[in-house]
Amino acid sequence: MAVKNYSAGVKEYRETYWMPDYTPKDTDILACFKVTPQPGVPREEVAAAVAAESSTGTWTTVWTDLLTDLDYYKGRAYAIEDVPGDDTCFYAFVAYPIDLFEEGSVVNVMTSLVGNVFGFKALRALRLEDIRFPIAYVMTCNGPPQGIQVERDILNKYGRPLLGCTIKPKLGLSAKNYGRACYEGLRGGLDFTKDDENVNSQPFMRWRHRFDFVMEAIHKAEAETGERKGHYLNVTAPTADEMMRRAEYAKEIGAPIIMHDYITGGWAANTQLAQWCQNNGMLLHIHRAMHAVLDRNPHHGIHFRVLTKILRLSGGDHLHSGTVVGKLEGDREATLGWIDIMRDKYIKEDRSRGIFFDQDWGSMPGVLPVASGGIHVWHMPALVNIFGDDSVLQFGGGTLGHPWGNAAGAAANRVAVEACVEARNMGREIEKEGKDILVNAAKSSPELKIAMETWKEIKFEFDTVDKLDVAHK
Amino acid sequence: MSTKPDRYVGIDHDINGGMTTIGKIIRDAWVFDLIPETETCANWNLAGIDALLQKVNAEWDKYGCLVSRLPPELAARHQQIHDAAIAKARAAGWSGEHETDDED
Repeated sequence: MAVKNYSAGVKEYRETYWMPDYTPKDTDILACFKVTPQPGVPREEVAAAVAAESSTGTWTTVWTDLLTDLDYYKGRAYAIEDVPGDDTCFYAFVAYPIDLFEEGSVVNVMTSLVGNVFGFKALRALRLEDIRFPIAYVMTCNGPPQGIQVERDILNKYGRPLLGCTIKPKLGLSAKNYGRACYEGLRGGLDFTKDDENVNSQPFMRWRHRFDFVMEAIHKAEAETGERKGHYLNVTAPTADEMMRRAEYAKEIGAPIIMHDYITGGWAANTQLAQWCQNNGMLLHIHRAMHAVLDRNPHHGIHFRVLTKILRLSGGDHLHSGTVVGKLEGDREATLGWIDIMRDKYIKEDRSRGIFFDQDWGSMPGVLPVASGGIHVWHMPALVNIFGDDSVLQFGGGTLGHPWGNAAGAAANRVAVEACVEARNMGREIEKEGKDILVNAAKSSPELKIAMETWKEIKFEFDTVDKLDVAHK
Repeated sequence: MSTKPDRYVGIDHDINGGMTTIGKIIRDAWVFDLIPETETCANWNLAGIDALLQKVNAEWDKYGCLVSRLPPELAARHQQIHDAAIAKARAAGWSGEHETDDED
């Protein structure tokens, strides 16, 4: 029996939405989709269908067609390209007029671009690879609350990556002992400690109790070290109102930084929180729980570089980026691509890093990438080399797993990062000479010596699932 | 009914050769002479361990929580106790990799 996979209906999409002669305007929002079509459907028709169903396709069947200028508001599929090394799919480039979207609303943009179209019958799979936000749209968004330079000024810390640590065990520590663990990490030399993303306000440790003990830890560590310290107080909550209540309290007790999970918490809530942080002089750390659900499948979903751009527009001062060298997902070149997207003012199209469009951020501040997941002192030379100074290197188990305890783990990481930065500043090739640099630093730091012995034989050899397309074959 | 034990097994029977949060508390308590080195804390309840932790924390506070700030006699004692513990844990199969398994 013949199976009917797809039919365009009265009129084929390509008659209206396929415009290969169209030259995108500077004000257009541009998108690159990786499209895996159903068998037998022409590429141009599928690309046009994607443009239609992510813009005005559903409007054409209703009477509003008479009131709105479809030709102005429609998305235009203007180019098609092969995907290197993969014949099952192709890239479709679509241009959307800026007025199709509400100003300052990543929610509105994403509702269209990754909305109904992802369930469309003509497609077997669809992935949003990249978006170009025109400067005219960027200017309507709030962006990061403070930005990298202001954060450095607030902390009075310059010329090196910042160091952080997620407090474990995840669930079950009393608030008092949790605060103590934070203190030990900060006292040992960390700049930040972090709530685990799973820690919100469970019965075993309500948020207010945790906030109070953590602030006590911060004050104690600051008094003893003479440095500014912070803890990412997780204000992610069941409702936006409750999230704001927790943020207000964090400010009231003097916390310099709070934390939000921007995907599970929602982009509207995140934008609201980021605007509040900007108005109240607070830093905002962003965790990305659920991102792998969206970005891990190479053929379906949303690439992390898009989620990165969404966050920069919605607002956040830190964003977890992957590590390249740790045990979690992350192709090196692709990771470098989205690190640039987080920090730089202007990013050129660079297919070798998976960047499909030039992106101009204008004067919008940058976001600090947070390298986190399975990293330890031996990774420090590579991390400093890859991420540079404007980053947060977050050692969880690589701090708390030190056989001598939390403060020793923190001290080891602080000595290691300062040794690597000093060596780099003196012109040494720190990835190549990493061992010598660390061994030499350990002569004056018993904490680092033990850390190096603890982790010396670990190798991370997991292959990445989501490689750049150019590397697939 | 919970099958979880409410008493500590003792550092000599702990998992990972004793390289655990409670193991670290007990070793530091030995270093600061809060309990004798023969005390494994077997059959102690959580409140007892927590009380010991508070005493250990008070001792560490005198030295900024850092081994490198311990006076020579305590530093030597720390090294002797912890070197032996690390060797024992390694022999029991512990490695640093356990510590970075569960991370985002």
